[in-house]
Amino acid sequence: MSDITPETRFDHAFHKAADRHERVWIFFTIALLALLFAGTLAFVAVDFGVVAKGAGFYKSPLTPADSPLFKSGKLVKTGPSAYSAYVTGKLWYWTPSPIHVPQGATVTFYVTSADVIHGFEVQGTTINLTAIPGVVGTVSYTFDKARIYHIVCNEYCGIAHQSMIGEIIVDRRPT
Amino acid sequence: MSVVIGAERDSAPAIAWAAQKRLMSLFLIGGFSALMIGAAIGPLQALNYADVNAYPFLRPVLQSYYEGLTIHGVLNAYVFTFFVTSGLLVYLPARELELEPNMPIWWTSFGLMTIGAVMLLYAMFDNSSSVLWTFYPPLKGSPYFYFGMTLLTLGSMVPLAAVMDLRTRWKRANPGKLTPLVTYMSAATLLMWLLAALGAAAELIVQLDPWSLGLTKHVDPIIGRTLFWWTGHPIVYFWLMPAYVSWYAFLPREAGGKLVSDPMARLTFALLLIFSMPVGTHHQLQDPGIAPVIKAIIAGLTLSVALPSLITAFTLGLSLEYAGRRRGGRGWIGWFTALPWKNPSVAAQVLAMITFIFGGAGGIVNGSFQLDNIVHNTTWIPGHFHITVGTAVTMTFMGLSFWMIPHLTGRALFSRKLALISIWLWFIGMSVFSLGMHWAGLFGVPRRAWVSELPHSEYMHVYGVAHFPLILVGVGGVILWGATAAFYVVFFGSLFGGKRNETPVHIPFTEFLAGPEGSRLAGILEYLWPITGLTFLVTLAAYLPVLIPFFQHQTFAPGWMVW
Ligand code: HEM
Ligand SMILES: [Cu+2]
Ligand SMILES: [Cu+2]
Repeated sequence: MSDITPETRFDHAFHKAADRHERVWIFFTIALLALLFAGTLAFVAVDFGVVAKGAGFYKSPLTPADSPLFKSGKLVKTGPSAYSAYVTGKLWYWTPSPIHVPQGATVTFYVTSADVIHGFEVQGTTINLTAIPGVVGTVSYTFDKARIYHIVCNEYCGIAHQSMIGEIIVDRRPT
Repeated sequence: MSVVIGAERDSAPAIAWAAQKRLMSLFLIGGFSALMIGAAIGPLQALNYADVNAYPFLRPVLQSYYEGLTIHGVLNAYVFTFFVTSGLLVYLPARELELEPNMPIWWTSFGLMTIGAVMLLYAMFDNSSSVLWTFYPPLKGSPYFYFGMTLLTLGSMVPLAAVMDLRTRWKRANPGKLTPLVTYMSAATLLMWLLAALGAAAELIVQLDPWSLGLTKHVDPIIGRTLFWWTGHPIVYFWLMPAYVSWYAFLPREAGGKLVSDPMARLTFALLLIFSMPVGTHHQLQDPGIAPVIKAIIAGLTLSVALPSLITAFTLGLSLEYAGRRRGGRGWIGWFTALPWKNPSVAAQVLAMITFIFGGAGGIVNGSFQLDNIVHNTTWIPGHFHITVGTAVTMTFMGLSFWMIPHLTGRALFSRKLALISIWLWFIGMSVFSLGMHWAGLFGVPRRAWVSELPHSEYMHVYGVAHFPLILVGVGGVILWGATAAFYVVFFGSLFGGKRNETPVHIPFTEFLAGPEGSRLAGILEYLWPITGLTFLVTLAAYLPVLIPFFQHQTFAPGWMVW
């Protein structure tokens, strides 16, 4: 560039400053991402129990939904304050519902669907699990507050999807 | 340092460009017509969340909320974006290289997508396929839906052939030179899409097309979902990258400046090509059957996509600052206010970029799965993607149309003022709407729910906690109706009623402060095919551990038509 006009001088200065800032910016970006990545992995090592896990695949989509545990609709006691609940999503309701849970209990939900895909979301908690026919998924949660929770279907499942609302009632611990 | 600029280009004698301009116009009109229908329905959905149920009055046209929502999602997310992109990413490289694109190839893309779109419209408007834009089996729509979707997808992959042919011809005539920037960005985008579309194409062609015809009786829902998200994640970059093309290659010049770094633009596109592909499984963090370790790795890797985004924020922020200072802006924010805000194309794109900053921040929430458990499939998610694809991308395409229609047709913009009004209304409407959607999502209001069909007491019982944010959603929607109406008066008004321009409008190809010559980085990034091959291998490595267990334990689910 032989003809140095004020404009090219402006460009030149701007460019030099920019190069410096760019290096700093990229350094910070990469450092930030490394931190976030480590943080994500650390969460899993700790496993908050919020992670949806698989508990079985079946050839026929109805095998789990028709099994005795899912059909009985009963809360199964598995420890001093631990329970298992077997929940099926159907067009367009959750069964069993309402589910009574003692306050302070840790409940492991086993969830499946008897027809199309549903979404098992318990409003106000971290419970969020896809209900897939022929697959059983599982997630656990500890209910510390005595209150009523809504089970909301959050995966579109047809014309009455919006009315597929169930209930979990956390019964106050006797004092 | 500076390269040939657009201003001299229309005078090139060899090519008349009339046929290319005509086809480009058709792509633009096709895409924006789809958006017009989709955007007309959008506010009805927003009102639904505010407990206003307009659907009983729409019976002859729309049988249900879900029929409308299927149309909204399919037309906006697929038809609109695919048409605009398949036009731009062939036309712009051809003009940059001064080479005629292979017209039969480009027409093939248009033809396949048009037939696909018509089949989809038929299948959606007769309510046979209200399966939403994700069409998760075992919901089962009509064969017109799946075959239409197949043709639309295949049609959107065809432009790659046209761009690669242009690039090869140009390289033959210019041995040893680097691919010019717009062509580079277009090729990277379409190569990414080649890999990305394989998932949905496989789902459609192997699973759903034969199933919809009755050739197979059953379908495996979780394999379908996984193949869908193979495509469904990178598709967001297929929406975004064409907007980036405009931000990198045109906006700096439109704003009165230059792009500060050409190699950084290339790096961004190469990184997007690589990082967007392997991480689609983060849409299945709540699905059973995928090992938590795989989910964690994928969730972690997802964050890598922030790197090209942050490079973009820096490079484009700086380019705008350069433009603002050249225009006399001083101080910390003076450069920003000194931008040509009266130019609707610039205003649209700068507002789009600002909106995108919030979109990116929200994206980091969605990507981290502890937080995602709270927002997954709540209104937070559509809140998020209406400021990304629904605003950052859509408003960029709108802004682009403000110079492109005059460029293509020789007609002036119908009304600059109305164009500006439409942009500001869109920006404001989406901000209010999206604030409400994000906020309501935190209360667990599910997305895709015809909540206004519930009895009012039930609505209040379950969603009353989110009543105020849900009202914001409705208000935002109504503002967006105004924005949409204003925009389409300008769009069609310019096409059919704009005054004849005296002087031709040129494509605003930008100049660079730092060009690619001599950059080692740009030299390495020139190897697009090897980068694509590598990305494919990494993607397989990420997906095989997810897919293999699914194939070992298949479920044979029958279809359901339940709407
Ligand atoms: C006129 C402005 C718009 C309004 C008021 C609007 C409103 C909405 C609302 C309320 C939803 C959520 C529906 C639900 O989850 O039940 C939605 C979904 C959606 N919108 Fe929009 N939208 C607009 C424009 C756009 C644009 C420009 C795009 C993309 C280019 C877009 C793409 C989508 C998609 C892909 C969905 C998801 C559909 C689904 O969940 O199946 N929208 N829209
Ligand atoms: Cu549902
Ligand atoms: Cu994604």
